[in-house]
Amino acid sequence: MSQFAGTRASWAFVVVALVGLIAFASLGGDDDQSAGERAEALYDKFACPTCDGQSVAESNAAVAATIREFIRDEVAAGTSDTDIRNALVQGYGTEVLLNPPASGIATLVWVLPVLALVGGSAVVFNAVSRNNLGSADPTAEDEALVAELLESASDEVDNTGSDG
Amino acid sequence: MLSAFGTAFVLLGLMASIAGMLIGSVALVRDQRSPNGSATLKPAMKSMRQFASMVPAAGIGAFIVMEIALFRRDYSVSFVQQVGSDSIPPIFNFAALWSALEGSLILWALTLGLYIAAVLWKFADKKNDPLLGWAMVVLLGISTFFFGLLALPANPFQRVSVAADFVGRGPNPLLQDHVLVAFHPPMLYLGYVGFAVPFAFAIAALITGRLGEGWLVETRRWTVIAWGFLTFGIVLGAWWSYEVLGWGGYWAWDPVENASLLPWLTGTAFLHSVMVQERRGMLRVWNLSLVCATFCLTILGTFLTRSGVIDSVHAFADGAVGPWLLTFFAIVTVGSVGLIGWRGDRLRSPGAIDSPLSREASFLANNVLFGAMAFVVLLGTVFPLFAEAFDGSRLTIGRPYFDSLGRPIAIVTLFLMAVAPVLPWRKASTELLSTRLFWPAVAAVGVTAFAVLVGARGFWPVMTFALSGFAGGSAVRQVVLATRRQGWRGFVGRTNGGMIVHLGVIILAMGVAASESYKTDRIFTMSPGETVFVESHSFTYEGLGADRTSRRDRTFARVSIDGGQVYEPARTRYTQQGMVVGTPSVKPGITEDLYLVLDDIPQDDPQAPIRLRVIVRPLITWIWAGGVLMGIGTLLAVVPGNRSPSIPTAQPAGDGAASGSSPDRSRSALSRAFTSLRRRLTRTPTELHASQGGL
Repeated sequence: MSQFAGTRASWAFVVVALVGLIAFASLGGDDDQSAGERAEALYDKFACPTCDGQSVAESNAAVAATIREFIRDEVAAGTSDTDIRNALVQGYGTEVLLNPPASGIATLVWVLPVLALVGGSAVVFNAVSRNNLGSADPTAEDEALVAELLESASDEVDNTGSDG
Repeated sequence: MLSAFGTAFVLLGLMASIAGMLIGSVALVRDQRSPNGSATLKPAMKSMRQFASMVPAAGIGAFIVMEIALFRRDYSVSFVQQVGSDSIPPIFNFAALWSALEGSLILWALTLGLYIAAVLWKFADKKNDPLLGWAMVVLLGISTFFFGLLALPANPFQRVSVAADFVGRGPNPLLQDHVLVAFHPPMLYLGYVGFAVPFAFAIAALITGRLGEGWLVETRRWTVIAWGFLTFGIVLGAWWSYEVLGWGGYWAWDPVENASLLPWLTGTAFLHSVMVQERRGMLRVWNLSLVCATFCLTILGTFLTRSGVIDSVHAFADGAVGPWLLTFFAIVTVGSVGLIGWRGDRLRSPGAIDSPLSREASFLANNVLFGAMAFVVLLGTVFPLFAEAFDGSRLTIGRPYFDSLGRPIAIVTLFLMAVAPVLPWRKASTELLSTRLFWPAVAAVGVTAFAVLVGARGFWPVMTFALSGFAGGSAVRQVVLATRRQGWRGFVGRTNGGMIVHLGVIILAMGVAASESYKTDRIFTMSPGETVFVESHSFTYEGLGADRTSRRDRTFARVSIDGGQVYEPARTRYTQQGMVVGTPSVKPGITEDLYLVLDDIPQDDPQAPIRLRVIVRPLITWIWAGGVLMGIGTLLAVVPGNRSPSIPTAQPAGDGAASGSSPDRSRSALSRAFTSLRRRLTRTPTELHASQGGL
């Protein structure tokens, strides 16, 4: 086994197994979502209008309970997610959406993090690749440093080496 | 009487901070200006230390006076009138000190005082070093601000008249219910305030121009300790929220929670990138910026949540301190940025990164990820404010936003946690990676296969399990190698303790993934005797019960789970506040928690149906376990390990006195040269040894 570990074949085996497992697990799920699960997923997407940013799922306030009941009933009646969303926005305003819409000024809240991540990665990538060029050979500065060191080391031996 | 004592301690703290700060900074400026140093520096430093040692005394004094006032129910003290109560049990009365704004500032001042005392004690042998002097000036500046808040806009010791029929209402009912209230805030404050110490040393390094690695080495253990407290405080807070708030969750992306996460993210980034500076002398500006940002973010968080700017379920809305905190935040930020800019020319790094496959490059990637996450959290927290100011649009930013941006960042972070620990400094070959990462990859396959076998589905959670296995395998590999090499000492020291922290993070990540992705949340209307089934557990409603104290009326439902033990989710009415709070009842377990909430109870007829919410959350206890393991890892990390010290100690000296010349000087020259050479060549003997001992 230790002969096999780390070889190309062993890695191929590991990667295929992982990809297979993850693919199986991600393709196999979500189709048979029950009505209860759909309603639950929706509770997390809306804010309770009276409780400072808590979601409908989190809040114990009366209005949150009302919205949970509304969602449960609509899901049971087969209303689509979009229709439920629109009905709630109509009733309580866009504040009821915990996920900011990708329109108007709210677009920034989605665009800026992506820009920051890309910018940060670019800076790091640049730092790594730029310094990557031609740093293998010692520069004159390096050699001077080593010479200086050797000299101070031999001074040291001269000074203190009497008992060595 | 007590208000006079309390005010006296606050004023003592304020005066001592101002006096020490002024004396110290004047003497230090004079010393820096004169070429040979100032003769008056020593006595001035001594006098500053004396003033500084009064600050912890003042903090402790103010704290004790307030506790006495709370326990004596001295309602003539304004803060006691606000949060005191005759009927509250002792532990919650003790914790009432930090249940509202003014008292929590006393806790802040106390903690800062204790850190100042610790700095004075720890650096007693460097008492006349200007670096330490400036650090103390900064710490005293911070304590001036907080004692100033206590003295002016948020004085908890004001003398007030007590109406004849006054009845103390006690703290918010949510804060008189669970013992974690006594531990979560102090832990958090020890974390927040602890970051003031590395911040003070960073500012001192900028002012004195001693921007090498000295200040870093002095403060790295302080940073780790502050980080450990903050981590533990956050996890305790999550646990408290789960046990008390009754929605079955532990993290709501509430502004106050975000405010604690921000310094944690930048602090974590710093703990990683600081190793690049220690080892390679690079990233000086960046590390200074991270230390300053971490402290600025704790102040910004305090402003956001204590000024009433943002509504949150646990903000103490109080407008009076808002402008003060904003001003302080501005001073700290502008000061830090200005100093870093001013010293920019001295901060150029001597080193360079050779390869993207190296430890230092992986730390940079870590910093990009943590920086991006901090940016997302900050933006999501403050953006609604800007949007409303800009065009009046009312936005709410909540869980779905943070989830959709945080999930990919967390996944990449886990991947990095698998690869980075096995990478050597400078440059790694692909063969080396292939050997070192093979068994961790096998662990990934094993964990994923097990998860899929027991029913885990969905891309994000299964991906989390796979990468947790990968990262876990890699951390275990490092710990096994270290213990094989050094015996039990393989567990201590920063590197090995850090790997234990990684294992804690991994367990926590699996807990988060499973409990979020596979939770079941059902609401039932049940009459007595009725049984419902959720996830193959039976829940039988047996009837209502009630108990009553002078403080509260508790109505509970008796619910037996799987025909066995009876649990009692309740609705509790706190008589003094007239507030009704749902108190959940939890059956914890290693594989899943069963969480019961009483949503509604019948008003008159005890036989009428109740509304019961049943929440099943798999692996949620793993989150607390992971938090505890992170705490243990932090402790192991601050115990000195078996590493060679960063700056080589003097070589065994010959009998120097006999040689007549000055061996001390040549030794220190050698030592300096050796350090700079080592920075260039990078690999120390230990590191070489480690890289050769790979699997």
